[in-house]
Amino acid sequence: MDFIWINQTFIVLGITLILWIGLFFYMLSVDMKIKKIEKE
Amino acid sequence: MSYVLKYFLFVWLTAVIIFAIAAPIPAVGDMGERARILYFHVPAAWVSTVAFIMALFYGAMYIKKRDIIYDHKASSSAALGLMFAVLATITGAIWARFEWGAFWNWDPRQTSIFVLILIYGAYFALRSAVESEEQRAKLSSVYSILAGITVPFFIFVFPRIVESLHPDPIVNSSGKVKMNTNMLLIFLSSLAGFTGIYAWMMNLRVRIAKLKLREGN
Repeated sequence: MDFIWINQTFIVLGITLILWIGLFFYMLSVDMKIKKIEKE
Repeated sequence: MSYVLKYFLFVWLTAVIIFAIAAPIPAVGDMGERARILYFHVPAAWVSTVAFIMALFYGAMYIKKRDIIYDHKASSSAALGLMFAVLATITGAIWARFEWGAFWNWDPRQTSIFVLILIYGAYFALRSAVESEEQRAKLSSVYSILAGITVPFFIFVFPRIVESLHPDPIVNSSGKVKMNTNMLLIFLSSLAGFTGIYAWMMNLRVRIAKLKLREGN
């Protein structure tokens, strides 16, 4: 419990960064797929 | 949107997240660390307002030009607006649990965004109820204009004329920004980053709609 309390900032930062990086690369992959279909 | 811009958005928002969560925050009332929600909650609410206003604009453009792509743009913008409004409501409710003691208090801010969510939920119910594409576009364009007119009232007017527990808006009633410079910088950067995400999501949805239209012809 102490570990969570002491490192709370980094835990929240880590979760938020993982969510953002996941969202970014998902959107990037969708973007690339659309571009591929647009060229066909 | 070029890929350079997208990678720039990635770097920009990553920096915003790091500063928003890890940078020291000055004392804001008795909120302490909870004040950090400002960096995510307000931009989400801001983007939902922009998206609803854009849905109004595209609805009006459809009425004027009768081009079906404007109907797709209006519905895409309304969908994104709804998503960001739900996000703002959830983040606000979590903050309220720790600040006010309950997730939901029917505070004027909570009530007004709830009503907006219902209004735009009804927009999609209307769209799914009409089969003819042209009829659907006409009806939902008129609806998006009427719904868009109510947005400034629910976001800017109603919460200010009724007694509320919600912290003062960024630009308060005296027209002055009362915020530490560092906080303001991170907040404005987050606002720009969220607007960038909206623009990109909108771009993706419109391109998908165009591909579907191309396939249909």
